[in-house]
Amino acid sequence: MLIKSSRQISRWRIPKRFPVPENSGVSPESRIEAGQIWPEPANATRIKHLQVYRYDPDSSRGPRIDTYAIDRDKCGPMLLDALIKIKNEIDPTLTFRRSCREGICGSCAMNIDGTNWLACTRSLDEISDPATVYPLNNMDVVKDLVGDQSHAMAQYATIKPWLRTTALPPAGRERLQSPEERAQLDGDYECILCFCCTSGCPSHWWNGDRFLGPAVLLQAHRWLVDSRDEATAERLDELEDPFKLYRCHTILNCTRTCPKGLNPGKKIAEIKLMVQQRQG
Amino acid sequence: MSERSRSRPRPRSPDVQIYRPQLTSVLSITHRATGVWLGLGSILLVAWLIAVASGGDAYATLDRFLGSWIGAILLFSWTFSLFYHLCNGIRHLAWDLDYGFELPTIYLTGWLVVAVSVILTLLTWATALALKA
Repeated sequence: MLIKSSRQISRWRIPKRFPVPENSGVSPESRIEAGQIWPEPANATRIKHLQVYRYDPDSSRGPRIDTYAIDRDKCGPMLLDALIKIKNEIDPTLTFRRSCREGICGSCAMNIDGTNWLACTRSLDEISDPATVYPLNNMDVVKDLVGDQSHAMAQYATIKPWLRTTALPPAGRERLQSPEERAQLDGDYECILCFCCTSGCPSHWWNGDRFLGPAVLLQAHRWLVDSRDEATAERLDELEDPFKLYRCHTILNCTRTCPKGLNPGKKIAEIKLMVQQRQG
Repeated sequence: MSERSRSRPRPRSPDVQIYRPQLTSVLSITHRATGVWLGLGSILLVAWLIAVASGGDAYATLDRFLGSWIGAILLFSWTFSLFYHLCNGIRHLAWDLDYGFELPTIYLTGWLVVAVSVILTLLTWATALALKA
């Protein structure tokens, strides 16, 4: 079916996953075992089942999938409300990141029903029953739904995401931008670094050690087009690399999944064009 | 944190095992697969040319194989691969020039590539069978 915005969920729910073996390329400690099925709430008429990835570093067990049942009449509208309800009333050991509960902090990014989104902006009405909840893909799991973002943040640091200048600022005032120059940053500055796109990118799954991934490349674009930045050429030199930039094969899972409706795929293509055009 | 848990490596969260197939990723992997298949097909093309050059017997053997139903299936798959790779390749060229990146356009051109490559494959085979008859 045609998808008009990343918010939209496909009505086609089949196939749920690619036809690969469940444990293809999975290390022994990452194999997922069957988990616990928690009791159904009493006297509930509207029940939503959630199959949640669990991993406890202090137990000797590997990851498992626990099934929880939520009484929708006693729960807020969003998936994050359901997770908080589980933690408060059913199982206090469930661990996840959350902060703003309004889609601006990026903490509660997770794999919901097979695609990445923020738990706080995904309505329980929109997800299937049972719905699957996993941590962001291809990350070392610290506990339950909390992935280790050290690698993603280290990749972010490599693009030096700050204003790089050699000239001093004009005497007595800040470095100003015209409204047109400021508009160049639209579609870049809104990124909340939730890493939904990077962790949904197959190219980053296979080459994540060297490919920077859509989130970091979108940030690279943000500094390349900033009128105040004086290191555009150096930034392009640093990015011009078979792996850092060119492992992007325009799969566009990033654009499909961005919970802020941004377009990392387009921005990466624009970086590739900038590299080409400066060669004349 | 206990001694045991520190010595144990952390699990890696699943990716391709659980990520929902979408038009974006499915067309991308199909582009790769058809490319590889066309690469193998070019070996057959060379074999065919060698058979033509080396005379009647070799050519007759190869022609009999390609005329069989298994040969027909292989040739049909290569026809589709060629048209799919061509159409999606044009889509990639547009992307490289920074066109067609809005999500509705990505989906529209994606389905268009599927439809056009199927139609072109069927047209080619209809024409070929009509000429043979």
